[in-house]
Amino acid sequence: MEKKNMAFVGMFGSGKTEIAMNMALKLAKDGESVALADLDYVSPYFRSRDKKGLLEEFGVKVVVPPGKYIWADTPIIPPEVFGILSNKSIKAILDVGGEEDGIAVLGYLRAFMKNTAIYFVINTRRPFTNTVEGIVKFYEKLKNRARVDFDFLVSNTNLGPDTTEEVIKEGEEIVEEASKILNIPVAFTAVPAFLKDCDCRFDKFIIERYMELQW
Amino acid sequence: MGEKIMVKGTEAIGEAAIRAGCKVYFGYPITPQSELTEYMSRRMPQEGRVFLQAESEVATVNMMYGASSVGVRVMTSTSSPGFSLMQEGISYMANARLPAVFVDVVRGGPGLGDIQPSQGDYFQVVKGGGHGDYRLPVYSPSSLQEAVELTIHAFDVADKYRTPVVIFADGMLGQMMEPVEFPDPVDPSTLPSKDDWALTGARGRKARYVTSFDIDPYKLEQMNLVLQETYKKIEAEEKKWEEFMTDDAEIIFVAHGTVGRIVKSTVKMAREKGIKAGLFRPISLYPFPYERLAELAEKVDIVMTVEMSAGQMLEDVKLAVMGRAETPFYGRLAGVIPTPAEILEAMMKEIRR
Repeated sequence: MEKKNMAFVGMFGSGKTEIAMNMALKLAKDGESVALADLDYVSPYFRSRDKKGLLEEFGVKVVVPPGKYIWADTPIIPPEVFGILSNKSIKAILDVGGEEDGIAVLGYLRAFMKNTAIYFVINTRRPFTNTVEGIVKFYEKLKNRARVDFDFLVSNTNLGPDTTEEVIKEGEEIVEEASKILNIPVAFTAVPAFLKDCDCRFDKFIIERYMELQW
Repeated sequence: MGEKIMVKGTEAIGEAAIRAGCKVYFGYPITPQSELTEYMSRRMPQEGRVFLQAESEVATVNMMYGASSVGVRVMTSTSSPGFSLMQEGISYMANARLPAVFVDVVRGGPGLGDIQPSQGDYFQVVKGGGHGDYRLPVYSPSSLQEAVELTIHAFDVADKYRTPVVIFADGMLGQMMEPVEFPDPVDPSTLPSKDDWALTGARGRKARYVTSFDIDPYKLEQMNLVLQETYKKIEAEEKKWEEFMTDDAEIIFVAHGTVGRIVKSTVKMAREKGIKAGLFRPISLYPFPYERLAELAEKVDIVMTVEMSAGQMLEDVKLAVMGRAETPFYGRLAGVIPTPAEILEAMMKEIRR
């Protein structure tokens, strides 16, 4: 049976937040009842909570720490997270913090994670995951820390506004190689809207970059 | 140059330091720069170099003193409260003439403050937060590619003048992501020799001291005069700035770092409204590019400073402008980032005044 929830995990700056937000907005537009939980307690800025207003405008329920604690980098897990993970009528999307410290939250939520597919997001133009060996090494590190198995890889190779079709394809090749070694499927390739006609070897997920600075 | 990669500001500075031949990194985690410490903890061992997490910022700066004394390239990074803790040691290093690179990823203050971006450490970093007559070259990047270049430059300036140098990066610059290209690593054999002063072992030669101390005031005064001569040279040779649309400008903004970048958008918005605005962006905060700003001020009525502070660089702007133009100020405090539109609105008020 297909798992109802999705969790996006990975290294710092791999694109978890962008993909989680895009996924939540897409599902909401498709008419699903969807909640996004920002569980990133390691990054001080550029978190999905910064776009709470936008997400809510499109009908996404946003779960963040209460009141002024949205500005903190302390491990606050809002209790509603347990609710949205268990509630059969809500698709929960978890935006998890980066690296070993960020992913530790999944161990804490473990008893509630049975119905959640975990996506390991990879940008091969980032330090430490630019090679198959790097990906495999940090995949294992994060999985051990999370104490849950991952379900999919996501190819999110990009250079922000400088992304090209070649960059995306080069990333897919490396991610495919890693997927063979790790024996885990690639769910999709994230493609920025300005390259939407790009030819991809995996399913294409077209995304907007909501976190990009406007100046 | 290698291939482009996507990095955070903290990673850009860390990798640039490695390319510049930084052999030793000491640090203590503090938001919003902990990723730099974390990056170095992974990368330095890969390069066979030293990463050491100290027990505090006070320990860090004294480790810097020790490592620099033996002639290696050394760096630390911290954020505002941590930089405060380092001041005593930085003053010691300045007088001991020890090259080193400090990175201050500035956050909201004073006190514990918050973890959002700020430029409120300007006085402390640029005017000297420690005791005594010393100055530190300070560079304020406004993009990550520039952060890479300035970090490498900071090591060269530190060695050339035998002084600590600071990279002033606000929290936004530390956390934002941009594609950058890194230059190839420097060849260590091409770095300037430090054999004439570093503590390399006294066998076969007279023992040396690397110290900030002399009990004889006349000798201490001589040490001070050497520093002052050095600062004169730095002021003559090391000024850096960028100008954006200043040629025909009728109003000039002055802003550095992240705010410099935001004000570029304001300048474009103003020009769309038919107002000829321009930007003067100091890159070296010390030495501050007074002369060029003074020239520009001759041609305009308003030189408007914008900072994420209550108006600190403003004092240097006023020293440059010296009454040639009005010098209004717009600032946000405590970690709030001004938007291009609100800066434009503040500018319009000044024009109508």
